Amino acid sequence: MPVALSVDLPAGTVVPARLPAGSVALWRSASGRPAASADRCPHRGMRLSHGFVRGEALSCIYHGWSYGQAGHCLRIPAHPRLAPPETIRVTTHRVEESDGLIWIAVGNPLSQPPRLTGFAPLRSLTVLAGVAAIEAAAGAKASLEGLLELSEDARNICLLLSAQDDGETLAHVLIKGEAGPADRVAASRTAESLRRKAEGLQKKEITQ
Amino acid sequence: MKLYDYILSPSCYKVRLMASLTGVKLDIRPVDFHPGTEHRSPELLALNPAGSIPILEDGDLVLTESSAMLAYLAAKAAPEWLAGSRPEEAARVQQWLSFSGRLTASLGGARLHEMLLRPGDIGALQTQGVAALRELEAGLFEQSMRGMRFLAAERPTIADIACFPYVALAPDGGVSLDPYPTIRLWSRAVRSLDQFLEMPGIHRLHELKPEPHVEGSEA
Amino acid sequence: MTVKAMIDEWYPVGLLSQLDLKGRKTALMDEPIDVALDADGNARVTGGNGRTLPVRVRYGHVWASLGEPKKELFDIPEADQPGRRFVDVGVVRVRCSPLRAVENFLDIAHFPFVHTDILGAEPHTEVQNYKVEIREEEDEVWATQVKFYQPQAAKSASGGITTEYMYRVPAPTCSVLYKTCPPRPGEWDVITLFVQPLAEDLCDVWPWMALFDDESSMTDLIHFQQTIFLQDRSILENQIPRLLPLDPGMEIPTRADLTSVAYRRWLKRHNYTYGAQLVAQ
Ligand SMILES: N[C@H](CCC(=O)N[C@@H](CS)C(=O)NCC(=O)O)C(=O)O
Ligand SMILES: [Fe+2]
Repeated sequence: MPVALSVDLPAGTVVPARLPAGSVALWRSASGRPAASADRCPHRGMRLSHGFVRGEALSCIYHGWSYGQAGHCLRIPAHPRLAPPETIRVTTHRVEESDGLIWIAVGNPLSQPPRLTGFAPLRSLTVLAGVAAIEAAAGAKASLEGLLELSEDARNICLLLSAQDDGETLAHVLIKGEAGPADRVAASRTAESLRRKAEGLQKKEITQ
Repeated sequence: MKLYDYILSPSCYKVRLMASLTGVKLDIRPVDFHPGTEHRSPELLALNPAGSIPILEDGDLVLTESSAMLAYLAAKAAPEWLAGSRPEEAARVQQWLSFSGRLTASLGGARLHEMLLRPGDIGALQTQGVAALRELEAGLFEQSMRGMRFLAAERPTIADIACFPYVALAPDGGVSLDPYPTIRLWSRAVRSLDQFLEMPGIHRLHELKPEPHVEGSEA
Repeated sequence: MTVKAMIDEWYPVGLLSQLDLKGRKTALMDEPIDVALDADGNARVTGGNGRTLPVRVRYGHVWASLGEPKKELFDIPEADQPGRRFVDVGVVRVRCSPLRAVENFLDIAHFPFVHTDILGAEPHTEVQNYKVEIREEEDEVWATQVKFYQPQAAKSASGGITTEYMYRVPAPTCSVLYKTCPPRPGEWDVITLFVQPLAEDLCDVWPWMALFDDESSMTDLIHFQQTIFLQDRSILENQIPRLLPLDPGMEIPTRADLTSVAYRRWLKRHNYTYGAQLVAQ
């Protein structure tokens, strides 16, 4: 599942990302390697996406417990001379990064994430509407992989959609490779308009 | 320069933060905003009949709008925080300074309601807060396309300081910041500034300091 | 959810200094209540069905119970000690379990990360062994000889010191801490966390203090404690699950967490499970 743009996850940072199963802490180590773990420190349940990244480890903001990329606990600051037992770990997810997008494996996919031929990611938007409402707003159908091509005057833009469990949709806006800054700003505004329309349709449907 | 200040007020924090970033020393006069409602006491109303804080006093200059205080601190101590000579830049600074008032009304209102039990229509406040955050996210994204990391320029200005506090504290009012990747990058850039100052609810970026080395570690 | 065992306990429902005839609408364990002054100037708390609830006025706050309290409201002897300043810090609402709010208050290991440069700072992160017991006679959880290095232990502290703490849980949603008093060695400052459970995952927190400090202004004392508590609030609202897990498999305690282990065990023993989650979900 595509969860974030590569540029939105600089080295040495952690962000919250969403999967149908819930929130995950998506982070990139100082050396640039992305990783994903459950968004919950097993010590006291604090969200790890509120934590911090030092070197190759993700730390919880609450008590500073830190975890390596494979999910095992590396450090418990309250007991600095203790080597944390092997049993303390966070669940991790497989992460792939390609064409400027970060993907998290849901289940055990055999294949690599699809390539974005000719398109590059622009920005991510959360839409408070389902895929159907977005399709209706765009007047087009999304492919099995969630790719929605915009018709008419916005042929250089494409949305990569993933439905969330609460009826919201994460939309990554993709744009044809050679676009300049003005095209990119215009594409972002087009995507915002589409979101407004989709959310309007969704509201109507609910009130009917 | 005397600041009538409340430690939990994001508007007062704007002024403390700006003073810290520009190296201005403030004489802080704490106001018992909660639970004491001292901002509505006769003494404070005499200074600011609107009954709000912050209030900044410097000689016979009395300011009651935080945006004006930011402009004053910058003009006095660090003009590089003001708009440069480019018309768009000047306009963008004004645009986001005005916009910051909407953040105060929406996200600030939601925060007062959720945290300090202030009456209000929480649903409406949160909805307006989300709308404002979306505008900010879009604005920051467009700036990044122009090669600028901050709201009005490639460097931070008073506009960033006017918007940062209520945005960073949005979760206090039950408004999530999870859906805004560009705001996250901007917020990080602000928090990484030299002489950045925290307030309760905005914690330290611990990664800016190296991990302490422990003698005799078994690990 | 078990309301029963906790229904007979006392809970804070307001600041005495802020009561008026008009009253204040609030809630206690999902029941809407009204807290007001009556014509004679006494605090009066009315339950959802109009019944008058048992009331106490103590430690600057009004206390009420939805049931029939079997015990008097717990005593804090320092509340009558001359020379102390009594500080009403005021209410802060937190979207978390009342029990999580208390447990966080019992924890020192988070100081360097959450209260950075005030109550703790790296590299002074180590929690040394301390003593924990459930005092059977008083039926209270106690932790003693808790020591921690603090950059600014109190408003009255002027530099880093190793502070000693004692913690006490006299009621399921209340905790009292005693800590080294910078201006008066040999005495203890008293800081409390009184938690009003509004719902299982929502509470109003009323910190209160009895300090030896003749220097700081009252407003400074209030702001110091509000600063600390607001730093905790952003943690408390982001713990998953919202309810306090009493299932030992859900969260991993270490030696530093022995107070919390005892607190959880004591809650379980008394069936104080309003705000708790018994089975992993
Ligand atoms: N004049 C505005 C007002 C800022 C504001 O809303 N301040 C709040 C505290 S954060 C306040 O004083 N509110 C008064 C009240 O709510 O009674 C500014 O300086 O930006
Ligand atoms: Fe704390």
